Amino acid sequence: MRSFNDPRKAKIGAVVLLGVIGLLLLLPFIPLQAGAEEAKQEAAPAEKKVEKAKDVFYKGPGEFGIVSGPPAPKLKYPDDYGTYGNFQSRSLLWVANQQHLYFGSFVLAVPMFVFVMELVGMLQKDKGMARKYDDMAHEMMKISLTAYSITAILGGILIFTFLALYPGFFGYLSRIFKPIMHVYALLFVLESGTLYIYYYGWDYMNDGGFLKWIHLSISFLLNTIGIVLMFFANSWIGFMMSPAGVDEQGRFLGDIWKSVHTALWHPLNVHRILGNAAFGGGVVAAYASYRFLAAKTPEEKAHYDWMSYVAMFMGILALIPLPFAGYWLMREVYGYRQQMGITLMGGLLAWVFIMQAMMIAILFVSVNYYLWQAMGRMPGAERYYPLFKYMLLILIVATISWLTPHTLVMTPAELKAMGGAQHPIVGNYGVMSAKNTAINIMITTTVFCFCIYQRCNKVPTVKWAALGNAALGALFTGAAINIVFLGIYGYFIPANVRIGLSVPQVCSTLTCLFIGVTLNTMMLKGARQLGEVRWGQMSPRGSYALFCLAVSFTWTMAVMGYLRSSVRLHWHVNEILRDNSPWAFTNPVGYAGNMNSMNVLLFWTMLLFVFWLGALSAKKAHVTEDEAVGAGKATLPAGSH
Amino acid sequence: MKSVRKGGTYFMLKQRSTSLALQVLFVLLALPMLAWASGGGAGWIDAGKFALIVEMGLGLGITLLAWILKDKLRIPIPKLVQAPLIWITAYIAFRVILQPPIPFSLLAIYMAIVTISCFLYVTISQPSWEEFTQPIAFMLQENTGKAKMSRYVTFAAVPLLLAYGTYSKMLPKFDEPVELRTVHPAPPASVNVHDKILNLQTAENPYRVDDSGKYLKVGLESVYHGKNPWAQDAPKFLQNVRDGGVVFFGTAGCFFCHGDNLDGKGPFAFAFNPIPANFADPGTISQLQETFVFWRVSKGGPGLSREGFPWASAMPPWEKHLTTNEIWQVILFEYWHTGFFPRTWD
Repeated sequence: MRSFNDPRKAKIGAVVLLGVIGLLLLLPFIPLQAGAEEAKQEAAPAEKKVEKAKDVFYKGPGEFGIVSGPPAPKLKYPDDYGTYGNFQSRSLLWVANQQHLYFGSFVLAVPMFVFVMELVGMLQKDKGMARKYDDMAHEMMKISLTAYSITAILGGILIFTFLALYPGFFGYLSRIFKPIMHVYALLFVLESGTLYIYYYGWDYMNDGGFLKWIHLSISFLLNTIGIVLMFFANSWIGFMMSPAGVDEQGRFLGDIWKSVHTALWHPLNVHRILGNAAFGGGVVAAYASYRFLAAKTPEEKAHYDWMSYVAMFMGILALIPLPFAGYWLMREVYGYRQQMGITLMGGLLAWVFIMQAMMIAILFVSVNYYLWQAMGRMPGAERYYPLFKYMLLILIVATISWLTPHTLVMTPAELKAMGGAQHPIVGNYGVMSAKNTAINIMITTTVFCFCIYQRCNKVPTVKWAALGNAALGALFTGAAINIVFLGIYGYFIPANVRIGLSVPQVCSTLTCLFIGVTLNTMMLKGARQLGEVRWGQMSPRGSYALFCLAVSFTWTMAVMGYLRSSVRLHWHVNEILRDNSPWAFTNPVGYAGNMNSMNVLLFWTMLLFVFWLGALSAKKAHVTEDEAVGAGKATLPAGSH
Repeated sequence: MKSVRKGGTYFMLKQRSTSLALQVLFVLLALPMLAWASGGGAGWIDAGKFALIVEMGLGLGITLLAWILKDKLRIPIPKLVQAPLIWITAYIAFRVILQPPIPFSLLAIYMAIVTISCFLYVTISQPSWEEFTQPIAFMLQENTGKAKMSRYVTFAAVPLLLAYGTYSKMLPKFDEPVELRTVHPAPPASVNVHDKILNLQTAENPYRVDDSGKYLKVGLESVYHGKNPWAQDAPKFLQNVRDGGVVFFGTAGCFFCHGDNLDGKGPFAFAFNPIPANFADPGTISQLQETFVFWRVSKGGPGLSREGFPWASAMPPWEKHLTTNEIWQVILFEYWHTGFFPRTWD
């Protein structure tokens, strides 16, 4: 131990450690390579009796592959399916899967958040702020560690549920993804090792210099491994939705990359990375809100108020591009199979999509509502209070348009009174042009609200303040006009051009986001402060809004996961492996809603337990600290945001 | 001093009423201007869109009026009154003004949003929240006669309302059940028409051709919109449209149900429930690929997929009466006539 006190040796040790972890990262790929070599060797002597078959997805030069596996089994009930009493096997698997996914997302998302926080902390010039960011990152990592063991337990439960209830399906999938599954398991070992080094090395490597950078690099590595793990898991669900690398009978054609790299793999990857980042921010914000509401001292309140704000901010950064990633995913779904897209958005599952739309609307309204409440702690914000109701009005009008379904639920009498399946006025809001317009307006309003939040306790003193204000006004007004105009124009042009219009609409929104916020920030440089931020003095309604935000995230994940899974209808693997269990039917919307709600409730109950555990150890830590430095000396967060 | 005060009040009132008059004038002018701009419901804009614009204008007008009353004239309306006022106004707008009537399910969605937004509105800032809760706190905590009376009324009203709610809920109802009908059921991957298998993902309309006979990309046919297909020198595309029109009005007689204007209001239309599809609506054929329409025309109501339950469609399977070519031609005609373009994924 003594040798590690020598900074030079510690540096060398850290570099060696990083190198070893890096090398270990390559280990899992050895079996993959060996597997490929093995396959080649196996294929070589058997050249005479090689059977080639056509890939179900890939076209062109590589569309034929060597048959390297048995056809997909024709599953029979009850031989290939298991049951536990009178429970629906599908529902049991649903719960196991959803809970594992939630915690998996949590332990993937929190390190992402922690990485950014640690980096921000390191880049801070103010040492007090740097310490605050670092402490917050450390605190969240501690929470994540508890969640990590729960994830592992839930992973085990999931595997056993698969083996016990869906052995036929699981057998087929594991035959196809045999090499990947080993890599996946090995990567988990690495993930655990990196996580433990990262967490337990926190204080030791916190020298504010070289070792801290190494520590941050380990965080980067941890996130990389986590993301690669998620990509692997995504490849299986991608394969189930849009299989590739197999022939029509489901025989593996020898190229694992094709089975991994399916039509929907990358859209799913991008969507899930952003979704996880938003989810991470939401959960940390909920944790901070929980601690804020439970805080007994003004210092604690101030700390958790600040923490919830930072977490919410991070979540929103990921939330804003999320609809666009979702849009890309749906576009690819339509491109892959028209009927899949229609089943999702216009057909059988359209009502579940409305639920999802409702959640998205709640997310954006919650964020705005939180910011309005948060302005209560900013002296000078009163100037902007009259604007809130107009922002609310815009958000609500956009929400109404966003939530108007294309397929209406009605009695035959209502149908007759309406004169057809589509309403002549409301029907206009049920199509894509209206939806794109609504979501872009919602995002733009959120950006506008954030700009107001930024400046509400400041008065710009730059010479060009009036010009800057005019430019900001013109920017937001111009963007709104452009978004609405393009939305209306979309009704008069072909669908493929209409889809293309979403690009300039998104550009308007992103221009507001990047140029608007940058301009606003520049205007506030050296601005006259109307008062310090009164951290800890936000109304409890702001904390409830953040809870609502986090719960909406989880509910959205449940709904979208259900949609993604049930769009396969009666297929385990789309058009390859048929689901012949008694539960191959599509659930009624009410049942799906109840299952999702139950999953959300279960997750939050477990998560509150994790939060409580975190608070328990924090109490102990506070007591120790108080004993050491004297009570009531906790530092208040700096008066800045 | 007295006269100055009087003068001041008079001046202020005068200023306010001038401002009010100007703004009311603006609202009153805005609506006819909108109507004028949209061509009075004729020309490039249909009646539905005209009504939509007028109602959007009305919504804006109401908002503006509320702004004038509250912010400009500073007429105090307590938050506790504002919230139910907004709710009732929205209810009247969605239930009475919006015509034809919307189904209850949609009304419930809209009113749920309005209810939430009313709550958000009154709690939007701390002063607003205090203003909203102040009369409630007064009612619950004070011991004056007024507070006591409102307390008794409220405490009597709450169980009565609950009792009424329970009564309405328990009352046997004989309404028709709600029909969860999927308007656009997902099509199959392929269909077999006249012994030929057609892949719905990749198939193309063979009559969608340019002057040289090559496939005409979707969207480029806009040059033929508004042209006369019966002209002597009509290009190939319009000739095909003309042939499709002959099928629509002649061979198949689609217009009996789908109407002369393809708006689903043909002479037979109202004998059916639901009435036939309105192709002039932006939510029907313009949302679908030509191959989807081909599937619906060729297989009709009996060919609807399982999710199309309860298969409420009187559409005959036209493959039994028309050739494949005639089906493609009539589809071409439907898009040309409505001015819509089929959906594509490129």
